[in-house]
Amino acid sequence: MIISKLNLNKALQILNESAQVFVPAFEVIEDRAAKKSIREKKFLPYREDLEVELEGPNTVKPPKDILFPNVEKLYQYKAAGEDSYIRETLPEETPKILFGIRPCDMRSIKSMDKVFFTKNYVDSYYARRREYVTIVAIGCTETDRTCFCDSMGIDPNTAPGADVMMNRIEGEEAYLLHAQTEKGEALLKNLESLEGPSENVKAIRTDCTLKIRKIPDLDRKLAEMFEHPIWDKVTKGCIGCGTCTFVCPTCYCFDIDNENYGTEGCKYRCWDSCMFSDYTRMAGGANPRPTKKERLRNRYMHKLSYFNERYGETLCVGCGRCIANCPSHLDISEFIEKSSAVDPKAEVYTESIRAAQGKEA
Amino acid sequence: MTELTQARTEERIREEAKKALASGEVRAVVGWCATRFDDRTRPFFAETAEECDLLVWNPYCINGTAKFALDDRYPDQKLALILRGCDSRAVNRMLRDKQLKRENLYLIGVVCDGKENPICEECQHKTPLVYDVLIGEPAKEQIYPERFRKIEEFEKLSPDERYAYWAAQYDKCIHCYACRNACPACNCIECYADQYRVGWQGKAADREQNQIYGLTRAFHVGDRCIECGECERVCPMHLPIMRQTRKMLKDINELFGSYEGGLSEEETPALGGFRLDDPDEFM
Ligand code: SF4
Ligand code: SF4
Ligand code: SF4
Ligand code: SF4
Repeated sequence: MIISKLNLNKALQILNESAQVFVPAFEVIEDRAAKKSIREKKFLPYREDLEVELEGPNTVKPPKDILFPNVEKLYQYKAAGEDSYIRETLPEETPKILFGIRPCDMRSIKSMDKVFFTKNYVDSYYARRREYVTIVAIGCTETDRTCFCDSMGIDPNTAPGADVMMNRIEGEEAYLLHAQTEKGEALLKNLESLEGPSENVKAIRTDCTLKIRKIPDLDRKLAEMFEHPIWDKVTKGCIGCGTCTFVCPTCYCFDIDNENYGTEGCKYRCWDSCMFSDYTRMAGGANPRPTKKERLRNRYMHKLSYFNERYGETLCVGCGRCIANCPSHLDISEFIEKSSAVDPKAEVYTESIRAAQGKEA
Repeated sequence: MTELTQARTEERIREEAKKALASGEVRAVVGWCATRFDDRTRPFFAETAEECDLLVWNPYCINGTAKFALDDRYPDQKLALILRGCDSRAVNRMLRDKQLKRENLYLIGVVCDGKENPICEECQHKTPLVYDVLIGEPAKEQIYPERFRKIEEFEKLSPDERYAYWAAQYDKCIHCYACRNACPACNCIECYADQYRVGWQGKAADREQNQIYGLTRAFHVGDRCIECGECERVCPMHLPIMRQTRKMLKDINELFGSYEGGLSEEETPALGGFRLDDPDEFM
């Protein structure tokens, strides 16, 4: 099916009638004191006056929180004699449409599915949200300088697992859409009235900007490198914040806490980060990951080795968000190159000029 | 600064770094190294003479270096820091707050030429205020007359407008603590926000917890802020965090007279000391 760009808003309106649609768009905050406005591209609930941008660079934050919100209530309780109760608070059964997510982010949802659905445990909160979401993915037309998904085995033009795949048509202000699942077929049926002519159209193909040298079995190599001196070196500049975690589409750790008001309260879960000191802190105060070296090593290992061992795929999808946003300009793609090239048995690790520049590992 | 002196400064930094390591007293020199992007550098620990040649000096050396000294509070050997003006004030801050010992530091000061960082336009002290060796000719101190202008503009808004503004900002906050971790005034051994078992601060990134965090942090650092702008630079969600400490500093300047943080190791922060003639009319 072909939909012209001019009909995009109409398409979103139609879809928004039967579901809540989320689109990449600009949120604007007026700063009157500084006489400027602050613009942030993020997934927002669709409104007619939104400034939607499907193409251009990807959003700073991934769409992950629509399936796995930052704060999610698990159950409510009351402890008051006869009136006591414990009530599960599953998410509402509202259909949602995630419109315009990128191939890297689609792959990340598939990884999250593995975490929350497999190994004999189904997370009912995630499952409920996932069931009610229909995903329309869009092939990239413009890539950021930090985009390296194709080096991680992902094609920025296709998104297996998405309900609908959408690609920009070469030389035209229009998109080519095709359903990949039943949910997707149902969605496209809704848009039939907007269908444009489709003769000899060709979808645009895009390539990632950043090409990195990764050896195919890096996961197994890293598994043998837990004590390697490279960790000391590459983690020194880290300031131990949660930025990389919270902008990453595939970080899924959470903490559980409660909020009490008198005899009532609720249990909730919220995102956690393995970069934080309390992530592994024991009740008595001991911490098996005492410094940022152990913490960042865990993050890199999880993305590049541990997940492979458990689920058979690399968890880093190469979206580049942590590279773009790290306050210290640490770069996981550089680490991938360096660790691919290094001698796994080396006893000392010294940065070389070209390696430090990221030009050659 | 011309290209030539930039290259020359870089050379001098490398020389001084090598000398420091060769002395046997210094375990590493913290400066900046190149990344794969020409307009970005990263904090770098040079631990061998070879690695000293990776240290760079260019308009993109924007990360603060001083706070890395806190990674090891009880070092066996000195740590050398490459210091710009703001980094030297950060060192003063941490010395004054008794978080670092001067004898554990070797300070290689560099007269700064201003970096590709908006805060540098506001900088009043480009020459380091504390150092063991100085690279470059001391520059004249500048006065930045607009220091509190944005605060004055902001004060003109009604309380409701100001609340709406901060609420929108804190709704964006992802609770990553980058602002705290980059800030040289946030130098407590254990931050109140990490004492989860006490329960001062919830971890949820919702409006309530984000605002509590923002407010608490602003009050904890307000009178000790050195105006380095790191908090605002590192925020991935672009919250104008420095406006909070600037507001505190403006009030302090009005109530207690001219004050800037981190100018010396001796200063007493306005809210950290007590004088009999304090203007304490609120008590
Ligand atoms: S790698 Fe960067 S973003 Fe991640 S914790 Fe370290 S400083 Fe923060
Ligand atoms: S680790 Fe970084 S590049 Fe990889 S998926 Fe996460 S944010 Fe993207
Ligand atoms: S400007 Fe921000 S980072 Fe710098 S000292 Fe002040 S509060 Fe801390
Ligand atoms: S750096 Fe920004 S997003 Fe992170 S905790 Fe601070 S204000 Fe929030």
